[in-house]
Amino acid sequence: MGSLESGSLRAVSGDASSGGPMAADASGSGFFATRADWLVNWGRKNSLWPMPLGLSCCGIELMAMIGPKFDLARFGAEAARFTPRQCDLLIVAGTLTWKMATAARTIYDQMPDPKWVIAMGVCSSSGGMYDSYAVVQGIDSIMPVDVYVPGCPPRPDAVIDAILKLQKKIEREAPVAKLLGLGAAERDERGTGKLVYQPNHGLSKGVLDKHPHDPKGKLGLRDPAPRKTENGKP
Amino acid sequence: MSGAKTGAELTRQVFEYTPGAQPRLDEDDPLHGELLKLNMGPQHPATHGVLRLAVTLDGERIVDVDPDVGFLHRGKEKSCESLGWHKFFPHTDRLDYVQPLMNNISYALALERLGGIEVPARAKVVRVLLMELSRIMAHLIYIGTLGIDLGAVTIFFYSFRQREELYRVVDAYTGHRMNNTYVRIGGVYADVDEKVSAMIEKFLADFPAALDEIDALLTRNRIWYDRNKDIGVISKEDAVAMSLTGPILRGSGVNWDLRRAQPYSGYEEYDFDVPIGSVGDCYDRYLVRMSEMRESAKIAKQALDKLKTVKGDVLIEDRRYVLPPKDLVHSSMEELIFQFKVVTDMRLPRGEAYHGVESSKGELGFFVASDGSSKPLRCHIRAPGLMNIQALPMLAKGRLFSDMVSLIGSMDFVMGEVDR
Amino acid sequence: MSTTESSTTGAAEATPAPRWAAALEGIEHRRVASADGLDTLEVAREHLHQLLAALKERAGFAMCTLVTAVDHYPATPRFALTHQLLSLEHSERIRVRCWLRDDDAHAPTCSDLWPGANWSERECFDMFGIRFDGHPDLRRLLMPQGYDHHPLRKEFPHAGIEPDRLYRQWDRQRRVGWSEEGAAQ
Repeated sequence: MGSLESGSLRAVSGDASSGGPMAADASGSGFFATRADWLVNWGRKNSLWPMPLGLSCCGIELMAMIGPKFDLARFGAEAARFTPRQCDLLIVAGTLTWKMATAARTIYDQMPDPKWVIAMGVCSSSGGMYDSYAVVQGIDSIMPVDVYVPGCPPRPDAVIDAILKLQKKIEREAPVAKLLGLGAAERDERGTGKLVYQPNHGLSKGVLDKHPHDPKGKLGLRDPAPRKTENGKP
Repeated sequence: MSGAKTGAELTRQVFEYTPGAQPRLDEDDPLHGELLKLNMGPQHPATHGVLRLAVTLDGERIVDVDPDVGFLHRGKEKSCESLGWHKFFPHTDRLDYVQPLMNNISYALALERLGGIEVPARAKVVRVLLMELSRIMAHLIYIGTLGIDLGAVTIFFYSFRQREELYRVVDAYTGHRMNNTYVRIGGVYADVDEKVSAMIEKFLADFPAALDEIDALLTRNRIWYDRNKDIGVISKEDAVAMSLTGPILRGSGVNWDLRRAQPYSGYEEYDFDVPIGSVGDCYDRYLVRMSEMRESAKIAKQALDKLKTVKGDVLIEDRRYVLPPKDLVHSSMEELIFQFKVVTDMRLPRGEAYHGVESSKGELGFFVASDGSSKPLRCHIRAPGLMNIQALPMLAKGRLFSDMVSLIGSMDFVMGEVDR
Repeated sequence: MSTTESSTTGAAEATPAPRWAAALEGIEHRRVASADGLDTLEVAREHLHQLLAALKERAGFAMCTLVTAVDHYPATPRFALTHQLLSLEHSERIRVRCWLRDDDAHAPTCSDLWPGANWSERECFDMFGIRFDGHPDLRRLLMPQGYDHHPLRKEFPHAGIEPDRLYRQWDRQRRVGWSEEGAAQ
């Protein structure tokens, strides 16, 4: 990338993260960056290497998910490695306690970028039923989370669904644009250790994340934005 | 590792005191005597959860192990005190989460002993059935995870296929694969119907053949044998002194099974054998667990047959402890009040009670104390896994570091139960 | 304590002398009944170790099932230290209770009799702050080392007191160590 003329690429609009080969503005000079983004995202989303941080009950369902019946290998994410340095998807499965929090944060820090986190089960999403002195009330207190999966424990199908959701989220990222400093820096707050809530892009970017039973999502309708007339009144 | 002793002296001391056939210590090894502290866990695939082991090594040999537990301590006993007797049932599921129904039943039995509550005959049979299916589930996890840890990854798929079958049964019965809070004070929530018992019957018919497959893959497998035989030998006396129970105690040759010695839920009416080991090593524990699965299937079969003859309710009709049926709650003022009272203000008599059951890991006991009010005074969970980990340093000292994996696997603890 | 006494002593008098009664001769103790029908011995702290040793050596209680405590706050004495023993050969259990005051909550260890009681006592220390004299390794078992409170005491709130203090401390050190400003200082 260093040998490229970065000056011409800077003309890419800030909204380069909308993903998909057909979505980019082919007329502008952002053509290259968005196409490269698409390629990189395609590679990333189809070869997720999960790091199963099996803490409690959910760990058993995680094993069942990799096991013969649910077979995560169908979605290209079965190569579970127990060392964080080889992985890019951290699945926190189970109750995280404050005693374990240091280890979990260390594991997150050791994972190379790009990295994503799935909070599997209510305990890791919000503390769940353990409103007690030892339990972290949601792992987003110590690390940023991409997908939350409810359930105690979630069925393996739910976690597979979460991985598919994550793949859709990866599609919308703009790694090349980010590398070149072209906006789309919504992932920059990662690694700060602050309480971070990920913005849900699905609400503004398209109908991908809408629930299938949601009539608006199904028909591709959106709330019409208040149209501004010339004198500033609707 | 402080004090005047050198590393070499310490290692030799450990070797002198460790019983059983030991691998020869290579005195000429230039690295002998240089102690290395190795941290294993709390995130490690072989520690079955979040256990941390601070291992002191001399070369490949283990000089000392210091287990560090509590990484999954969720404060369950405190939760029980603030929640109340009924609301603690879902928490018991998450103790030993590979066998949730067994934990439910153990807790319910302790409360029933404290309250002097007699369970209907059919509920007892259903409970025995659920407990034995739970035992099979737990032992299948043991086989699968130990297989992965020792490099026999195929076993994981064989055992999980059977476990998925059991999940289907439990799912059809309770509505959830795991953590199914289905036991109540005074019985179980709902009866085992025709459909479910047909599913269990089918499972029990197929299970022995599946177990034979696992047997054929493992029992006479050279690698499996070498990695388990004569490893982690514990004598009868030591096992008793270390408060070990369950398959580990029986693997050492002690004939002690709570289902036999102190029968509960009508276990005295069933015909089963208690498998006993002879040497007390990892291989004996494996054999004991394999035989226990066969015995469990046998008991479950008998319980299924009993279900055909023993009829009646599966839950007592005592409004002090049991929620009234929902349709009555909606139509009758009295029942609504009973419902309200049970949810907010269920009381058990003043006093203390203990009940232990033979879970898949050993004696799982609940020690409950009540002061007569609606809030429990104390609920102590006697976890067999805690005692198993406690014996780990004793077994590991002097062994090769690679034996640690088979040792941890054969101890078969679940951290949810150990840390509570 | 007084309530437990009055409600249970009457029942205990009527039952015949149990198997282990001879083994405990000369040791001052009181036999009370309990709700689950298990024999319970109440003993003062001075005689606790002697009684436990006699139960192990002369009455065959070879296994220590559990060591725990019950917090009867705000009554005094406050803690009911409870040992529960099991005899494999006789298939029999027994419970030993020893009352401890809040201001001197310590008791003799029994881990010299049963090595398996070692961790149970550590847990009891961790959760209640009861110290065991002569214990070889009295550290916290479940809560992290360096935590200030004993969670199962009744005055400890369920939601905890500064549960994240140790993590935040670690987190601050980690960041100072890694950041460029920290390195520059």
